[in-house]
Amino acid sequence: MRDKFLLAYRSIKERRTRSILTVLGIAVGIAAIVSLMSVGYGMEEAITGELTGMADMISVMPGKIAGHAYVELGSFTDRDVKDVQRISGIKDITAMTYDAVEVEYRNERAPIFILGGDTKELGSFYVDPVGIKEGRWLRENDYKGCVIGDRVANDFFDEVIHVNDKLEINGAKFVVVGVFEKASTMYAADVDPHIFLTLRASQEVLQTDEVKYIMVRIYDIEEAEEIAEEIEEAINDNHGLDDFANAMTMGSMIEQIGDVFNIIRGVLVGIAAIALVVASIGIMNTMLMSVMERTHEIGVMKAIGAKSSDVLSLFLLESGMVSLVGGVVGCVVGVIVAKVISFGASAALGIEMTAVVKPEVLLGGMAVAMVVGVLSGFYPARKASRMSPVEAVRYE
Amino acid sequence: MIHTENLTKIYRMGDAEVYALRDVNLEIKEGEFIAIIGSSGSGKSTLLNMIGCLDTPTSGSVFIDNVNTASLNENELAEIRREKMGFIFQQFNLVHTLNAVENVALPMFFAGVKRETRLKRAEELLVNVGLGDRIYHKPSELSGGQQQRVAIARALSNDPEIVIGDEPTGNVDTDTGNAIMDILEGLNKEGRTIIVVTHDAEIAAHAGRTKRMRDGRVLD
Ligand SMILES: Nc1ncnc2c1ncn2[C@@H]1O[C@H](COP(=O)(O)OP(=O)(O)O)[C@@H](O)[C@H]1O
Ligand SMILES: [Mg+2]
Repeated sequence: MRDKFLLAYRSIKERRTRSILTVLGIAVGIAAIVSLMSVGYGMEEAITGELTGMADMISVMPGKIAGHAYVELGSFTDRDVKDVQRISGIKDITAMTYDAVEVEYRNERAPIFILGGDTKELGSFYVDPVGIKEGRWLRENDYKGCVIGDRVANDFFDEVIHVNDKLEINGAKFVVVGVFEKASTMYAADVDPHIFLTLRASQEVLQTDEVKYIMVRIYDIEEAEEIAEEIEEAINDNHGLDDFANAMTMGSMIEQIGDVFNIIRGVLVGIAAIALVVASIGIMNTMLMSVMERTHEIGVMKAIGAKSSDVLSLFLLESGMVSLVGGVVGCVVGVIVAKVISFGASAALGIEMTAVVKPEVLLGGMAVAMVVGVLSGFYPARKASRMSPVEAVRYE
Repeated sequence: MIHTENLTKIYRMGDAEVYALRDVNLEIKEGEFIAIIGSSGSGKSTLLNMIGCLDTPTSGSVFIDNVNTASLNENELAEIRREKMGFIFQQFNLVHTLNAVENVALPMFFAGVKRETRLKRAEELLVNVGLGDRIYHKPSELSGGQQQRVAIARALSNDPEIVIGDEPTGNVDTDTGNAIMDILEGLNKEGRTIIVVTHDAEIAAHAGRTKRMRDGRVLD
């Protein structure tokens, strides 16, 4: 057996350029699979990881999700907030207002959304993950202070807004006490285009005691779905509607994201499969060329007594070895590419993301390389083994 | 040891039929050194390929040790080629990726001989044909005469009873040709049956018996 390896190795080495090309063909296919899968897993882990940090949260909105769009049906009232507070299993609850207002800065006006709520709670949602670039976060008694997102500070007005600059919100004067950092993709939509106020200040500005959004933190994640249902019932009762409140647990969001990732992975695997088909055509082609080139050699081997099965196993061994090397190279390159892509994506999208290289992906990649290599080597190998010795020896 | 009965080989080229062999009845005795001469295209190679179990006849049969080769399957034919016969070709037909000693050891490899035994014997065989100092050379690094001697060593690798040469001197100069024939004569003296095809009467003179072919027939 060792001798067969040596023989196969010789003929691979002898045709170095072509062997390298074949190895590359397989390696590209395997690298595609490994890197796409690893990046996919990495992305999934990055996003679900961020979400699981918030697994004890239920967000309650006055509206429903129709298809993929959110339709707002109205607002919550103080009574809704109080009723939700009474449900058992809830650790704490934050009511938030959210609406468009008119903001004036140095004689320039723009419509901007404000977000008001309990400063401690809002802070724990946004300040830790995003960070404050200038100034500080709101305090409970900052009735005339506000903190602004990155786009509010830099994009919405001709002049950049800094700490201590003054804004007029719906005619009321506010001082900017802090400016957020530019947020990562996960938080960009929540933070960058918004002005943050205390709940009291925002209700004053909006001249309402209505609430647009309730954040609930619970004690036991296991109870999340139950509590979410109780919340919906309580609020729906208040409003005499069936489908008014929408309480979403992070768990259900994670599940939804998981579904999305299954689809993404399916697509990635499809792409990789195409790459592999191309690679296997490449192997078959090079192995066929190898057979044609060596018609003579095969004939000689048969003339001096090689059985068809000897020739078959030699050629299969050859394509097997090429595929093995291709598989290993593919796995290594795939892992490197996955790391580079994740690094680039982290930098570009602002997500904390590392490629997740699962051993089963590597093993699968190797297995696919071997199967593809040996299968596509089989036809040429059989063709070689069936060659008649005279025909081959005559062929000069 | 070998005889043919009405051995016929027809090649079809489109509509035309080429009779490469017509009703050849030939007997070769054990330990004989026979030369078959004839002009190019007379069917010499075709006859050797039949005797050497490389090709199958259109009709008629080849008997080796009274076994009709037509009754053997592919693996049994391969075994005959491997164990009973040694082939020497006009174009040497060495495997160019392997060096001299590996080429010589190749038939033993297919016979399942252990690596150490195989390489040792291959080296001895190369020494015997005067190539003891060239055992690690690739065919491309050897002259025609040297390549043919490697091919002879390879033919002897599994210690065959029969050595078959298809114009073994066709691609070498006269002196080398005579040296090769001397080696074959030596092998004959060891008791091996030697069958050589040539179109050169001088070369044929080394043989104990000469048969002439013309148009696919063996003349008396
Ligand atoms: N594979 C083949 N296909 C067609 N014709 C062939 C083939 N092999 C040999 N022949 C023909 O058979 C005849 C005998 O050929 P061959 O045995 O090679 O002659 P020799 O070896 O005496 O020169 C020639 O006419 C040759 O053209
Ligand atoms: Mg000939």
